[in-house]
Amino acid sequence: MTGEWTKARPNVDLDNKEFWDGLAEHQLLLWHCGECGAWYWPKAYCNRHDNQPFAAQMGWRPASGRGRVFSANIHRWVFDPHWADDVPYAYVLVELEEGPLISSMLVDLDAAATEAVSLIGRPVEVVYEDHLDVEEGFVLPKFRLVQAEG
Amino acid sequence: MGNTRLAIVGLGSITGPQLGRSRRMLTSEAARLAIEDAGLSRQDIDGAVEMRAAPGGGDRSTFVDAFTRMLNLPVNFYFPIGRGGALASLGIAAAYSFLERGMANYVLVAGATDTRSRAEAAKLLGHRGRPHDREKEGYWGSPVGELRAVSHHSWMAARHMATYGTTSRQLGAIAVQIREWACKNPEAQMYGKHITVEDHQASPVIVDPYHLFDVAQVSDGACAFILTTEERARDAKQKPVQVLGQGFGDVTGSLWWEKLNYTHMAVEKARDLAFGQAGISLSDLDAAMLYDCFTAEVLFQLEDYGWCEKGEGGAFAESGAIGPGGSIPVNTGGGLLSAYHFDDCTGFVEAVRQLRGTAGERQLADAATVMFTSHGGELLSPGMCSIHATTVLGTGR
Repeated sequence: MTGEWTKARPNVDLDNKEFWDGLAEHQLLLWHCGECGAWYWPKAYCNRHDNQPFAAQMGWRPASGRGRVFSANIHRWVFDPHWADDVPYAYVLVELEEGPLISSMLVDLDAAATEAVSLIGRPVEVVYEDHLDVEEGFVLPKFRLVQAEG
Repeated sequence: MGNTRLAIVGLGSITGPQLGRSRRMLTSEAARLAIEDAGLSRQDIDGAVEMRAAPGGGDRSTFVDAFTRMLNLPVNFYFPIGRGGALASLGIAAAYSFLERGMANYVLVAGATDTRSRAEAAKLLGHRGRPHDREKEGYWGSPVGELRAVSHHSWMAARHMATYGTTSRQLGAIAVQIREWACKNPEAQMYGKHITVEDHQASPVIVDPYHLFDVAQVSDGACAFILTTEERARDAKQKPVQVLGQGFGDVTGSLWWEKLNYTHMAVEKARDLAFGQAGISLSDLDAAMLYDCFTAEVLFQLEDYGWCEKGEGGAFAESGAIGPGGSIPVNTGGGLLSAYHFDDCTGFVEAVRQLRGTAGERQLADAATVMFTSHGGELLSPGMCSIHATTVLGTGR
């Protein structure tokens, strides 16, 4: 599939460009308040206190990439022929260690044999899926279950 | 809060497949029907609001020109309003201001949907295999699995199941009871198609944990209604239906920040405002048209409005409370789940019919106070930053 991407493309805008640049470097950046240490995604003014103009006290910082499944589903129906090869797949809402929620696909999983509710609460870690060779290339963050020890 | 009360004095409703008719044409026709229903002429309409389901709340509509031009309505003002499935509720809220301030005598609120025809046209044209466009600015998820409303709405069902032990069979009980109501409504897309919980369980899993029967219909349709003041409505041709109270809530108020928006909806403030204005409590409602894009939405509202405790919605539904003969009739026309999906207009139209006494076989005896709810406007996924509206209608004082 080198050089081809037939699904929807990310929309890189003024508020998320640095986030997408971080992914290209295999970093999961989150929006961080320099004053109080709170983390956000997507970009927001800090909720806990007054802000400097244009939230100047905040910036993008690398996060751990780890979290837990907050909610989950398994797509079993092909809505779109471009996704026919992906179905079935797990699409999860992850609560990152730092606090924010972010959604993505859960990979390295036998989605056909999995029930969505059973995924909730399980620890996950980010994985990076490179598509830099397509026009306006990008890297997608996805997640996989952290394998239990022992 | 003003003392002016609004009344609905005209109603136009179009349902069923509408292949070949533009939304503009459908809206114009619904408007024409509403004017006829009210016994008015188009010259009486001096204000217009168009209901357009702008996703999220920030998109501009994708088409221009308006039913006011097509139908030749001599209005002083016209503007579109809407947020996701919150259409009729916002139309009423907008019209209130103009009527209260005497800037119009009769405000016509109208809109249409052609989701079914567009889906069928896309199938006819075939999938050409062209790469998709960029996802919308400010949205998230389309490249990584977010494809349809069910792609994120299903998280609400899953989270509620994990938190409270709600089961798919309990969601099925909701689908079955609303289907029973649809089977009393010849306009319902699922009219004549009775289902059981076993049928629900056997229906294909679309996005686990949602089965096919957990998901709303795909429909064409149009709705128009005419609002005026209570006073002016005294001379109306049809029995006026009054707007007794309205309230709005938004998930960005607190639920989103507290990560509760996958088990709760922004009902509390909306309900308290609306019930306060209407001077009612929950037990005064004769029926409730609960926004039902998916079964879990109904379950959440049963809890959040207070018919049962949080977490008990499944058991409450299983008790048969919401179907024919139940303690709180819900979606007596079949709702979005079994009748047709035109956002909150589906529930609005059914509420008006129950109050006018024109609901046919499914008419509730002595219906005097009915609410319809509205939901919509995911700002981004996984934001689920949704509006909730409570509108209480009644046969008035």
